[in-house]
Amino acid sequence: MIEIIDLKKIYGSNTALSIDKLKIDKNEFIGLVGNNGAGKTTLLSLILDLIKPTAGCVKSKSIKVSASNDWKNYTGSFLNEGFLIPFLTPVEFLEFIGNLHGKNSADVSNFLNENVHFFDKDAFSNKYNRELSSGNKNKIGILASFLSMPELLILDEPFANLDPSSQSWLKSKLKKLNSEGTTILISSHDLKHVTEVCSRIILLEGGHVIQDASTSSDTLVELERYFEV
Amino acid sequence: MYELFIHQWKEKVRSSFWQKNIFLNILLGILGLYFVANIVVVSLFADKILLKIYTDRNVVEAFTGLLFYYFSFDLIVRFLFQQLPTISIQPYLTLPIKKSLLLHYPLLRSITSFFNVFAVLLFLPFFIKNIWFTQSFQFSFTWIIIALSLVGTNNFLNFSLKKYFSKIPLLILTFLGALALIIYLDITNVYSFSDYFAEVVYYLSANSLFVILPVSILALSYYSAYSFLRNHAYIEDPHSKAAAKSAGLTIFDQFGEIGQLIGLEVKMVLRNKRPKSLLYIGGFFVLYGFMFYRKENLEDYFIMSFMGLLLTSWFSINYGQYLFSWESAYFDAILANKIGSFNYIKSKHLFFSLTSILGYLTILPYAFISYKIALINAAFLVFNIGITSVIILFFCLFNKSYIDLGKSQMMNFQGTGVVQYLLLIPIAGLPFLIAFLCNALGGLQYYYYAIAAVGFLGIVFNKNIIQSIANKFERRKYKMAAGFREK
Repeated sequence: MIEIIDLKKIYGSNTALSIDKLKIDKNEFIGLVGNNGAGKTTLLSLILDLIKPTAGCVKSKSIKVSASNDWKNYTGSFLNEGFLIPFLTPVEFLEFIGNLHGKNSADVSNFLNENVHFFDKDAFSNKYNRELSSGNKNKIGILASFLSMPELLILDEPFANLDPSSQSWLKSKLKKLNSEGTTILISSHDLKHVTEVCSRIILLEGGHVIQDASTSSDTLVELERYFEV
Repeated sequence: MYELFIHQWKEKVRSSFWQKNIFLNILLGILGLYFVANIVVVSLFADKILLKIYTDRNVVEAFTGLLFYYFSFDLIVRFLFQQLPTISIQPYLTLPIKKSLLLHYPLLRSITSFFNVFAVLLFLPFFIKNIWFTQSFQFSFTWIIIALSLVGTNNFLNFSLKKYFSKIPLLILTFLGALALIIYLDITNVYSFSDYFAEVVYYLSANSLFVILPVSILALSYYSAYSFLRNHAYIEDPHSKAAAKSAGLTIFDQFGEIGQLIGLEVKMVLRNKRPKSLLYIGGFFVLYGFMFYRKENLEDYFIMSFMGLLLTSWFSINYGQYLFSWESAYFDAILANKIGSFNYIKSKHLFFSLTSILGYLTILPYAFISYKIALINAAFLVFNIGITSVIILFFCLFNKSYIDLGKSQMMNFQGTGVVQYLLLIPIAGLPFLIAFLCNALGGLQYYYYAIAAVGFLGIVFNKNIIQSIANKFERRKYKMAAGFREK
């Protein structure tokens, strides 16, 4: 699904990311972990063609993401608040994203009803996205990312700012999407969540892949030991 | 309080905008000094100007009468553009600082606003030259206190007016309409409010004790603004209770992806302070017609070109110069979602075209002066759609400055760069080049036809032009996005 070849992102003298080879197969559920500055968001941004690589390339379905916009047809993503349109209401925003993927207002309404336990649209019908709390902004961004039932889902720290119920709901939802065929790539600082839902963990440090392995019953303990100060 | 002012100063000088644009800072500094010099010179020589207009009237009396207009317009402009200084105290609300101090601070800070500095620069030189040295101390003292009190009153009154009027939009129109009516009645001499105003100021200036009256009004307006802040000094967005406006703007959605993007752009303009204020400013541009559309100017190619270009494209030029930067807060959303580059650029072009057509329709009534005005403007409308708008689109690919949509437009240079200045060269230069070529070929009388023809060619080849701009956008988008992320 995703292939990373000799990928480098360098800012001045600082190498933010350097990965020789990395493959993400269809239907995998991958968790990126690492300290601040490890290169998690940089990697996700490069996969989404938001930043230009200094060297190398990212291929999605064997096509360079920088050479074609085809990947946008089957990729859902939410990295941060910059992915939200601040002056739209949550429903308007979801309708905007839905329409881009050929969905009408009724489809979006049904989608919101299905996910009402995660986000109650009626409670925020008169608010613009910019007026929502960080948690609710995250919820809207996450919902928008899988509104079109994408083949590839990319989320940066999806559990951040969410209340416990929403975190639990999101874990179940992501597992369900993955079981239905969606390839998922998330980053997270929450080792417990990430080891719980992901089938493969990639540990980044200083822009390099330190460890890349399938999740096992020992993964959480190993990671906790690695990050121990 | 001193610390708060220091923080405010640091906020200004340490903002990324000031740190990044040294060339622009110098340019703006020079422009600022030039602007100040202009006001001071007008004020210094106001007596000479007034003597020419009011040959039979005392200069001080005439100037005092004109202050009526000044304060009326000042209140209108403040109402439209002066920002409420509430947000800046938010980080301090939870710190061990007296709440009353935090509430007085933004009000006192507002004293240094552009509007107040402008008024002082306009009044003071005139006052020193024509009142201080010629009138009694009592008159001089009272006169300047009245003038400055009224400046302060407008400053604080504006905040209260915004508070009450924001709840009922119709009241805003009524208020602005009433002010406009008063000014109209005065200009047409139906009822001379300005003479009455001058009489009151003179009457009050006759006795120093009367100074209490304007100062009391100032204190009252300050208290009213303070009460407003006190009641709103909680972390709650002022818009939180407002229902989503322009929610019914779904008309564009039926035109596919391009229509959706135009709809998004319209919502962005209507729902955000800075782009919306450009619409108000546009109202002033339309009024230029009253100044320039005279029978004697109809044969003047320069004036008619300037007006045609300005009035049919004021919005696309004003708004367009910051194109893409308006979306800087969510540019990543545009890049990561299923939006094709061609459609994205095409939607911008169509949006410009729509605003140009609306601009043309707005100024159509000037055809009552002469039908030629409508025809000439039609030529420039075609030129703007075919040429001006694509020039703007191309140049804005090089603008990568972040813009905060919620800030006021007045004296706000965020997002301004060299591009805005370079952009004006082809926009203004091309019609001149066409005029020059027509003249050189001995057919200046065909100038307007040539303008329309060039615009028409731009429309014919629009698809190819948009495609090449979209290709350029694909190459530039990384740099643009990186610039927008640096707030």
